[in-house]
Amino acid sequence: MCGIAGLVNPDQPVDHLPETVSGMLMAIGHRGPDGLGYVLEDRFAMGAVRLAILDPQAGIQPLSDPSGRYWLCYNGEIYNYRELRSELEAAGSVFQTRCDTEVVLQAWLAWGSNCLSRFNGGFAFALYDRHEQRLVLARDRYGKRPLFYTRHGNTLLFASEMKAFLAVPGFSFEQAPEQLAAIYAQWTPLPEQTGFKGIKNLPVGAWLTFQNGIVEQHTYYRLNFESNIQLQSEEEALERIRETLSQSVSLRLRSDVEVGTYLSGGVDSAIISSLANTLSPHTLSTFSVAFEDKEFDESIEQRLVAEQLGSRHYVQTISHSDIVESCPDAVYHAEVPAFRSAFIPMFLLSKRTREAGIKVVLSGEGADEAFLGYDLFKETMLRGAWADLTNAEKSTRLKQLYPHLAHYGDQDNAAMMGLYQQFSTEHMPGLFSHELRFQNGRFSARLIKGDHAGDPFAEISALVAGDSEFQAMSPVEKAQWLEYKTLLPGYLLSTQGERMGLAHGVENRCPFLDPQVIELAAATNLKFDDGFREKRLLREAFRGALPASVVDKRKFPYRAPDAVAFAAAPPDYLDLIRSDAELDKIPFLNRTFAKRLTEKVLNTPVGEISTKENQTFLFLLTTALLHHFFVARESGPLVLSTGVRPPVQRVVDLRIGAKD
Amino acid sequence: MDRIRTFVEEQFLIEFDETFPEDSNLFMEGVMDSFGYVQLCRFLEQEYEIRFTEEEMTGNVLTSLAQIKKYITAKIAAKTT
Repeated sequence: MCGIAGLVNPDQPVDHLPETVSGMLMAIGHRGPDGLGYVLEDRFAMGAVRLAILDPQAGIQPLSDPSGRYWLCYNGEIYNYRELRSELEAAGSVFQTRCDTEVVLQAWLAWGSNCLSRFNGGFAFALYDRHEQRLVLARDRYGKRPLFYTRHGNTLLFASEMKAFLAVPGFSFEQAPEQLAAIYAQWTPLPEQTGFKGIKNLPVGAWLTFQNGIVEQHTYYRLNFESNIQLQSEEEALERIRETLSQSVSLRLRSDVEVGTYLSGGVDSAIISSLANTLSPHTLSTFSVAFEDKEFDESIEQRLVAEQLGSRHYVQTISHSDIVESCPDAVYHAEVPAFRSAFIPMFLLSKRTREAGIKVVLSGEGADEAFLGYDLFKETMLRGAWADLTNAEKSTRLKQLYPHLAHYGDQDNAAMMGLYQQFSTEHMPGLFSHELRFQNGRFSARLIKGDHAGDPFAEISALVAGDSEFQAMSPVEKAQWLEYKTLLPGYLLSTQGERMGLAHGVENRCPFLDPQVIELAAATNLKFDDGFREKRLLREAFRGALPASVVDKRKFPYRAPDAVAFAAAPPDYLDLIRSDAELDKIPFLNRTFAKRLTEKVLNTPVGEISTKENQTFLFLLTTALLHHFFVARESGPLVLSTGVRPPVQRVVDLRIGAKD
Repeated sequence: MDRIRTFVEEQFLIEFDETFPEDSNLFMEGVMDSFGYVQLCRFLEQEYEIRFTEEEMTGNVLTSLAQIKKYITAKIAAKTT
């Protein structure tokens, strides 16, 4: 795992390139504290900061082929690199290292872009062909690793995190209100959105070329839920789930350094931890977030699992003041507005993990998307069937759906029936499954003044309308597809996932995001039950390996205290959203609404603040902080926010136009 | 009935005026959410000592302020006659 950054076709004098590219890399130095390297010539400069996990000595980047024509900067892990390497060697490729970076380079040279669909892992890379003067950028299929790019004059800039662009002379950030409205409305950015004008994230499953000043984008992977797996019985399904997940964990334990796990208290990370414990040569280290505020705390289940595994268990207990104190740093690392505060504890957990000497962890992300863990999927099925049910059946189904939400008690069932009635037919083509969620989003989108917002759902509507495979999917599969395109890459894997982990040089790996696991899940979902007991097969597959109370625990969404944390002791930086002078610096914000909302959430008893108000407050605060850091650049030396300065390990200077 | 208007305005941080009339569909305009809807129902039930049935709630009765007022007026009248 690493961070990469670079620029092609520079407008600046070649003498300035070393400073620019090393500045960009230092700005993301936290991603790769073990070393920094770059290559430059007159027409390009790029490099990597490296978190050394495989072949720590020989894996220094950037890497070239023996002729020096191709240069690769690579971020991520290809878990099946040994198998690919054997295949390449059999076909005549010669390797200098044991590192997966070289497998990526040789695979590209041998197979071209066809190599991408053969990679099983999370990756993003930049490959420059000096002969063709052509840059290739590519990204993994589920969005494990980021890759941002932008045009700056004639130059193409790219980086693992946008903060690298802060180091580019003359570059300025500007927030894009119509994108922000879309992010607020959807909860997360769409695949290309970043919230900043002109900066794009390379979509998942895509690659692009930049040559002669022209960007061409291609897609190598289209998400679908087709499966060739035939299962005759539930027993067979359970066995296949155990086998496939075990293989996936085993692949992700490939590492020259010790691998730990994040243990949330839910069943998914318990399964991963249990498998890792069995398959790992080390005593497993497990890491958990606990909360002083018991509403959010799952430490009982965490402890039960850790005790059963006999792991070295580390607990980071989070108070309200931890949320408030770390919020600005965590937002700086996240780079996009967030709808909840739950990413902030993950920033502190990765710090703790690193301090314990662990720099790779496995986690449970991706299980809910693959095995239908979210209430959203059940809601979609119920709303879809609504018109065909009697009132008694509607009432019964609703009570089954929401036993865990205190504010949806029996007395509220009638109200919930009225609500479902409103959302039982599709109003937004293709987006039926998400219309209830998007309703909260419409409220948040009101943060943007009407004349700046546009239709916040225009882009997502166009995205689904343009995907023929999506159009052919069932309502539940459409819901899955949307989760794989929005919440998973746009928040769970990024803001709450790798951006927080790598703030402190911790890489996370997700066994549930293995293509074989996802295909198997597609073959089992709704085949042996009606889906109303979420992830039933997954639970049953591992019933014997885990405490019963964890196996049978209902889905408990990982959350952290939101507005209540800030109301308890309002920090000075809340001025950014409370003072007229500060709010005026962000001209597209609806100031009246923003202030009414802020005062309401800070002065209302916690039980009376709704989800939509909490999320809107978080969107407002994180947007204002991002403006402060990236647009106004009003805080100190942010390029070194975690103080990490990786040692320079390799500089390859191929310039011929330099003066000295 | 002004109490309903005030409740909706405070609950959803909006103001009814000529650009946002009382017959606006609160769902379609992005004002109403699930928690807010449940709170609104509770408020109406307590304030006017009425009880919504499941049948009533599936009949599109609470979608705009104008409709809510009309419905509550009828409901109270039915109770007193």
